[in-house]
Amino acid sequence: MLNTFLFVVLPYAALALFAFVTPYRYFSNRLTWSAYSTQFLERKTLYWGSNSWHYGVIPVVVAHFFGIFAPDAMQSILANRQALILLESAGLGLGLFALFGCLVLIVRRLVTPFLGPVTTAGDWILLALLLFQTATGVYMGMFLRWGSQWYLHTAVPYFHSLLLFHPQAEYMSDVPMVFKLHAAGAFLIVALLPFTKLVHLLYVPFDFLKDPPILYRWRSPKAGG
Amino acid sequence: MDARAQLVMVFHLDKCLGCHTCSISCKNIWTDRRGAEYMWWNNVETKPGVGYPKKWEDQEIFKGGWVVDGNDLRLKALGKGPTLLNMFFQPNMPKLEDYYEPFDFDYGNLYGSREENDQPVAEAFSQISGRKIDVIRGGPNWDDDLSGSQLYASNDINLEQRGIVEDYGKMFMHWVPRICNHCLNPACVASCPSRAIYKRGEDGIVLVDQNVCKGWRFCTSACPYKKVYFNWDSGKAEKCIFCFPRTETGQCNACAHSCVGRIRYVGVLLYDAERVERALLRPDDQLVEAHRDVILDPGDPAVRDAARKNGVSDQWLDAAVQSPVYALVKEFGLALPLHPEFRTLPMAYYIPSLSPVLATLGDSHELMEHGVFPSVETLRAPLSFLASLLAGGNREVVAQVLGKLIALRAFLRAKNLHQPIDPEVLKKAGLDEAAALRIYRLFTIGGYDERNVIPAQQREEQDPHARSGESGFGILKKTGRGK
Repeated sequence: MLNTFLFVVLPYAALALFAFVTPYRYFSNRLTWSAYSTQFLERKTLYWGSNSWHYGVIPVVVAHFFGIFAPDAMQSILANRQALILLESAGLGLGLFALFGCLVLIVRRLVTPFLGPVTTAGDWILLALLLFQTATGVYMGMFLRWGSQWYLHTAVPYFHSLLLFHPQAEYMSDVPMVFKLHAAGAFLIVALLPFTKLVHLLYVPFDFLKDPPILYRWRSPKAGG
Repeated sequence: MDARAQLVMVFHLDKCLGCHTCSISCKNIWTDRRGAEYMWWNNVETKPGVGYPKKWEDQEIFKGGWVVDGNDLRLKALGKGPTLLNMFFQPNMPKLEDYYEPFDFDYGNLYGSREENDQPVAEAFSQISGRKIDVIRGGPNWDDDLSGSQLYASNDINLEQRGIVEDYGKMFMHWVPRICNHCLNPACVASCPSRAIYKRGEDGIVLVDQNVCKGWRFCTSACPYKKVYFNWDSGKAEKCIFCFPRTETGQCNACAHSCVGRIRYVGVLLYDAERVERALLRPDDQLVEAHRDVILDPGDPAVRDAARKNGVSDQWLDAAVQSPVYALVKEFGLALPLHPEFRTLPMAYYIPSLSPVLATLGDSHELMEHGVFPSVETLRAPLSFLASLLAGGNREVVAQVLGKLIALRAFLRAKNLHQPIDPEVLKKAGLDEAAALRIYRLFTIGGYDERNVIPAQQREEQDPHARSGESGFGILKKTGRGK
């Protein structure tokens, strides 16, 4: 029953919210589409928090997606024992880095008076969830070794079954509880994404890299272009 | 030739009385909102002084503007790659303390206080945290009129000798009102990873698209004038919009309209977009000349044809001919760009202040013989200071302008007193009688329509069907963090 809820109901609800609410928010009110930086009000601890968090978590998330979309490539890389050890330790290190960053970000909001007016309930929910997610990830990295490998045989086929609309929660039924919670946390984050400032991660500045430096906008169609 | 039109403001610093009316009218219209309390899209600072935000002119702190790198211009702060690597923490961003903590007073206490032995007071509270502020330690004009000279004015990077502001015999000051310069080569635009900031083709106004801005904040430091601000509530960048809802309908900007000293002139300049980059590669002391080279003569038929090809209407071309800005910047060469060495090609120009028209001789100033004007070199405001502020360090350019202003005064004084006029006075300064009378009119009795020649946008010629229903009631959507 719990498995069905965590691995069938929750993921589809999360994906549906993500798929429909995100474009709705984008088209209805982009004035709230921002990372809501607080660097202007407090920068000393943000430096440690934000940098550690982002540089820790982004490679780890990318590795998760790599496993989902290229499991065979991942498998062949991990077949090399040295590569496996290297990846596992790098992942754990980055995870600890992100965990440190997340804790700094939480403490920072607690102790800086200026940040009170710019901290919403959404920020706290998000921070708590991200802390939980990072902590469970780090725990698995430490105590349930070779996760990068068994991930490919549990969560990855399960994700594939989800994406093919033929959910097979069995893949996840016999894994340790902490792993179940980690997976469920991931879906909660996806579900919350369109409602919170997390939407900021949906933008990658490709135009910035290729555009000429000065951007013009013309109203008259006959001019400039 | 790629001739385009630009709306430009000129400030006559000799006429500025430092009353801050411009700042207040701007604040009341545009930035009296949550998250924008600390923003002054228009501010007036005392020079010498550190300005607002403090030390904005020191690009070693905030890394604003452009630098010449071989045969190219590059942003002083970060290239494209490093920008992306620094997205999580913007290393050069000015912080709240660089501006000031916005405050208000608890006026309600004056009415609502219960009866006590002492009179109730309106205590200061922070407009950000809402907490009581015991000691206010800064404001947008904390160093107004040279107050705290040792702390502020003596730290002005344009000063050669810091001691000058502490010596009563040599002290000088004037005010510099500042808005966004709506530059031809805006560093804020180039630094924006979201591509939210753009320059309008038709009138050159630089705007932040609030729908596109994601709040990465690179613009706030890339602008060497610190005229892009971060709204701490909405999480987006904001800046002076040159009152485009007013200028589009031919009305003058709120700051210029409310100016008590009538120091501001608003008009059209035509410029050659193809010459911009080459002009900016020239050394610092040639940049004023480079500015003047980029500006085109609106009376030249070839320029007019090129401008028409870019959609500049006849109404705009006529306005460019009558433009007080063209007269002051190019025709008479009186107005200079603010810190041209930041290489953004700022489109706000300043006529340097001659006042106080007192010479410094020896240790303290001596009043000159009545009716005689001092030479440029002995004016109280040092040439080097004005040259650092307005000419990339080129004293000659500033001396020329001051020479013209002195000649103008000498000429008109003689004329008004029916004294014999020495034609050499004007000629030596590079003016003639007709020019002098035109400048005199603009400086003194020219009315609103002479000081401000602003052609309206002709929306009927700008694809009106495609844009019907686009505007009318402004932004009705909610901004901010949803608190």
